[in-house]
Amino acid sequence: MKRLVLLALAFAVVTGALAVSAQQTPPAPTSPAGAGSQNRGPAAPTGPVTRLPNGQVDLSGVWQGGGPVGDIRMGLAKGEMLPIKPEWQKIMDARMSKDDPEANCLPTGVPRRDPYPWRIVQTQTHTFMLFEGNIHSYRQIFMDGRKHPSDLDPTWYGHSIGWWEGDTMVVDSVGFNDKFWFDFVGHPHTEQLHTIERYTRTTLGTMMIETTVDDPGAYTRPFKISFTARLRPGEELMEYICNENNGYVKHITGPAKDF
Amino acid sequence: MRARLAWMLIAAAAAVWAPAARAHHSFAAEYDANKPVTLKGTVSKVEWTNPHARFYVDVKDDRGAVTTWNLELASPNVLRRNGWTRTSLNVGDEVTVEGAMAKDGSKMANARVVKLADGRRVFAGSSGGDAPPPAAN
Repeated sequence: MKRLVLLALAFAVVTGALAVSAQQTPPAPTSPAGAGSQNRGPAAPTGPVTRLPNGQVDLSGVWQGGGPVGDIRMGLAKGEMLPIKPEWQKIMDARMSKDDPEANCLPTGVPRRDPYPWRIVQTQTHTFMLFEGNIHSYRQIFMDGRKHPSDLDPTWYGHSIGWWEGDTMVVDSVGFNDKFWFDFVGHPHTEQLHTIERYTRTTLGTMMIETTVDDPGAYTRPFKISFTARLRPGEELMEYICNENNGYVKHITGPAKDF
Repeated sequence: MRARLAWMLIAAAAAVWAPAARAHHSFAAEYDANKPVTLKGTVSKVEWTNPHARFYVDVKDDRGAVTTWNLELASPNVLRRNGWTRTSLNVGDEVTVEGAMAKDGSKMANARVVKLADGRRVFAGSSGGDAPPPAAN
């Protein structure tokens, strides 16, 4: 029994979150939701990727992370600067965190993610991304060869078409509204936003999501971000209805850039 | 002993899950990590709701005056995965809460650690980071 306890204790310490600690001084709060924070925690399961009977890579499962949360710049290549236009930098710098649509229970848009798990469901004609959190919503990606319509109304997730390039699922999206922010710090975009996401399941437990963000409205050139989603084996999505009791946004007094 | 082991396993499971990001909004814009607060009092209300579970604690000062504090937890889905249930905190429980105060000076705080009535110290799924850095423990 003692050995079991020691094992459990060692496990908890190693993984970095001993939820019960009898006599210890509480640690200082860690930094809040950084974009790279999805990569904390245990190693994702390893091994070869799973495939469908037709040989196609199977992306389905419950995943965590894979996009910016705190600051989209976390996904840039080392040393690269975000090519934001000066006038949009000013708009961003003036943003207040209480106005973040996500804080107000509105969708993340693309390519932003949230701290909650999400599931990919593949069918022959569609790929669905089911989001547990913020908000309890979904993206639908048309995999049937159709093109983008020419008369799109701007929407939070835009219009997405997808196809396979080898083992990579490519998702091309347009038709976004300009309401969502890319991250907590308030990186902006316009309705000219066009994203090309490349989903590559690099191992059984990891999926690289590389996104080309092209918005000539707010950025001087397209840029690429890269994040890794991790599989959460055995996990199921839970209900999360953000609007249930979101009555405290008025207390979020700080500027977004100070995140 | 078994209960202790079970709780440790819950702790380990929570750690396996835990991303640092717990909230749907910026922590730093609402709470001040440099203003820690420790509150000891009686739970007067529990809201097991989204986007954050909340509980209210009546804290008495030296002269007996009662102040009610509004304490933010993670969302119920995150708390469930951390081993909490909606009955982990109950009205009437005597608790001690460590957290970070709201920047706007209201009687609000983001709870990081809660010492429950039975003496257990549990992390609260705080958006300020409920999981200590590995080196801290």
